[in-house]
Amino acid sequence: METLYLVFIDPFVQMVQAPDFFLQVLWEGFVSGVLYALIALGFVLIFKASGVLNFAQGIMVVFAALSLVGLTALGVPALLSLVVCVAIMFVLAVGIERMVLRPLVNQPDIILFMATIGLTYFLIGLGELIFGGEPKTMVTEELLLPTGSSDFDVAGGFLILQHIDIAAAVIAIVMVAALGFFFSKTRIGRALRAVADDHQAALSVGISLNQIWVIVWFAAGIVALVTGIMWGARSDVSFALQIVAFKALPVIILGGLTSIPGAIVGGLVIGIGEKIGEIYWGPLVGGGIEGWLAYIIALAFLLVRPQGLFGERIIERI
Amino acid sequence: MVAVMDRPEMPPTSLAVPGDVLLEVANVSLAFGGVKAISNISFDIRQGEIRAIIGPNGAGKTSMLNVINGFYHPQEGTITFEGKVRRRMRPHEAARSGVARTFQNVALFRGMTTLDNIMSGRTLMMRRNFFWQALRFGPALNEEIAHRKRVEEIIDFLEIQHIRKTPVGKLPYGLQKRVELGRALAMEPRLLLLDEPMAGMNLEEKEDMSRFILDVNQQFGTTIALIEHDMGVVMDISDRVVVLDYGKKIGDGPPDEVRANQDVIDAYLGVSHG
Amino acid sequence: MFYREAGQYKTSYAADMAVFPIRQDRIGIGVILAVAFVGVPLLAGDFFLNSIMIPFLIFTLATIGLNILTGYCGQLSLGTGAFMGVGAYACYKLTSIFPDTNILVWILASGLFSAAVGVVFGLPSLRIKGFYLAVATLAAQFFLEWAFIRIPWLYNSNASGAIEVATRTGFGVTLAGPAAGALPRYFAVLAIVVVMTWIASNLLRGRIGRSFMMIRDMDIAAELIGVRPLPTKLLAFAVSSFYCGVAGAMMVFFWLGAAEPSAFSINLSFQILFMVILGGLGSLIGCYLGAAFIWILPILIPMVPEALGLPLEAATTEHINFVVVGALIVAVLIVEPHGLARMWQILKQKLRVWPFPY
Repeated sequence: METLYLVFIDPFVQMVQAPDFFLQVLWEGFVSGVLYALIALGFVLIFKASGVLNFAQGIMVVFAALSLVGLTALGVPALLSLVVCVAIMFVLAVGIERMVLRPLVNQPDIILFMATIGLTYFLIGLGELIFGGEPKTMVTEELLLPTGSSDFDVAGGFLILQHIDIAAAVIAIVMVAALGFFFSKTRIGRALRAVADDHQAALSVGISLNQIWVIVWFAAGIVALVTGIMWGARSDVSFALQIVAFKALPVIILGGLTSIPGAIVGGLVIGIGEKIGEIYWGPLVGGGIEGWLAYIIALAFLLVRPQGLFGERIIERI
Repeated sequence: MVAVMDRPEMPPTSLAVPGDVLLEVANVSLAFGGVKAISNISFDIRQGEIRAIIGPNGAGKTSMLNVINGFYHPQEGTITFEGKVRRRMRPHEAARSGVARTFQNVALFRGMTTLDNIMSGRTLMMRRNFFWQALRFGPALNEEIAHRKRVEEIIDFLEIQHIRKTPVGKLPYGLQKRVELGRALAMEPRLLLLDEPMAGMNLEEKEDMSRFILDVNQQFGTTIALIEHDMGVVMDISDRVVVLDYGKKIGDGPPDEVRANQDVIDAYLGVSHG
Repeated sequence: MFYREAGQYKTSYAADMAVFPIRQDRIGIGVILAVAFVGVPLLAGDFFLNSIMIPFLIFTLATIGLNILTGYCGQLSLGTGAFMGVGAYACYKLTSIFPDTNILVWILASGLFSAAVGVVFGLPSLRIKGFYLAVATLAAQFFLEWAFIRIPWLYNSNASGAIEVATRTGFGVTLAGPAAGALPRYFAVLAIVVVMTWIASNLLRGRIGRSFMMIRDMDIAAELIGVRPLPTKLLAFAVSSFYCGVAGAMMVFFWLGAAEPSAFSINLSFQILFMVILGGLGSLIGCYLGAAFIWILPILIPMVPEALGLPLEAATTEHINFVVVGALIVAVLIVEPHGLARMWQILKQKLRVWPFPY
């Protein structure tokens, strides 16, 4: 009985008794959810265009953030180094397309997936060689991002909103909207969807696969850069950041590998779900459950809908 | 097929008398969402015959085979196989009860050799448990060798000795079709379903394949249901023909009768539909 | 010229189905076994045994485990490290409770626990496939890692949070713990790995191995032939996890002597996965080649700058390791997606016709 009470009733009593704290938890979950969604978006873009589950997306986040911090440390003005970083992500996209994707075209998905794991190791090693392994501070103010926080009186208590969190949420929402527009309304977006549907058919109507791949990996690189800045501003910039990529994996399987709305909804579900789970239920089992709760949530969904929330239902034919 | 090995779990094929109804499809309907693939179709397959299912593209022929071996579940109607009535059946249960098939688009195990592919058809008849398998000694090894012997007979029958150890992914299409037939034969089925066994073949390959089908039917007494587009072949080798169009049955009977059927002629030549 | 099978006729199916149907191969494997059982113990020092041979053999076993699941049954798993951890912790608990029993018994028994856990985390494979399943196995990885940290009972509530191996014997010889010599441990590992490789090769060549490959190549067709997908996949998970569990137990008991939960992190999973890929999916010989390559390469890399007279810091070498290994993975996948095993096959084929390739 005691256990049942602790599991099924007590957490809700806590939520009702301290609504301001509950709102605070919701907000924190929302902000990390938005950032998960942003990383997941990087995965989804690449998966749609090339059928590759890009394991290196997480390390691209770290790599982008490290380059930015590293450049400013060399005395380059922050905004200029931002531009340089965009260029670096472009070079990376072209490099990956040339060195990894093009030679591996027509290989089974699993081979490409493993190639991205190899890429991950390569980038980790390269990043540590160039920038060293110790954590660095993000150049938040130089990038004209707000710092500090505001308090709001709500529900008999108060809610603290970090300005950087608000900025992160706003920027993430703008990015998602922009990418959504880009890929649904422009010519390149149509080409991308054609490629996602059928590589050979797309080739046969004159779409350049290589060009699309570069564009998509570049877009994913930009997304990684933005995520890296935002996440770096909330904690430190270090290789520990790549664990957020492990958070994005349940997000994409929850949302469906090919669905942009899925990535967003999945990100929010996971972000809020794991915060609430950690705060209210975590102490029951000794805490630290954030690491796997996201996976369990995603698995539970998957068992009901194997194709994810927004994935297309597969009719098997033979 | 002469039982070379002990197969206590399976009644010998010869128990059934030629001419008896082996499988009966009664009032079967199948829909995907709102699309009706098959509506209210009934026909039977008799012991020892070659039964052809023909019809234009999209007539529901492959869906019909999928229903028979349990891959699709019909919304209405029943399938009676060897006197047992069943509506919902898992594919592996169909396999267990003696239904084997080949596929329109070759469904071989591409990473495995010809030999292994045909051996895979024997899976259900191999009894030795995990621990014997792990030791691969005594009974397990003897079992493997006995099955290998049967498989080699099939390989001889289909004249594919030279590709025995070639991975099937590397074989040309015609040979893949032949290996697939071999895999189905290895199951020693009582009902063999062939989905377009001659699609995409040249004349010679078609003649070979027709010969194999007739041999299987005559030498082993296996009942065969096949889908085929080549009317010449169908009329030559089949005993009875059922014609489907838009998921409905429009003709059923011996080849000559079907050939004269006005509905069938209309469906194939595209004359007035109403 | 020397490697040629002409004139070797097979008169029975048993001979044709042998693991090494060609006489030269049989001689070769005999020589390798002789070197492993006699040559290495006679010639090698403790360093060679401890840092190269023992870990190489243990990783080979784990690689075989993962290869059964991924290479033969087609189910990608990223939870290998955690399954190895289950074996290690199970063995630790068992030998803590029954300290006097032959340690080899517990090493093998711990595989059963790992197999059971593997089956539980294999259950989602009923409904989900491919990448979705790979991510589901990450759930196992993170959940089990968490359990190793948060459940003190698993590590007997040691203050360090690590499991430490006390002295344990088998057949009257000290095999594990600080007092155990390198040679007995090497023999224990070698014997287990050789026997388990032989068992794996038996399983994979027979009905069970074929049904794994049927599921891998085309699960729908497999089902229409009568192979039930779920039990087959679960069996693959069980066998695979058993191998990984035994490897994990040996890793702690016969090699490291102590281990923290972080030893079984996702990096271990990836390391084993790399061995599988580089060695070759669906090849047992590949497991040995891949494990040797990935394990020995990082030992060799620091020797290059040393030989050139460029002393490097340990951290830098490690970073270079990452770069080199990552690049090699991509390169091998591009050159030969079927890994070193396929290269070995091609080499043998060339040898067969040498010196007249036409």
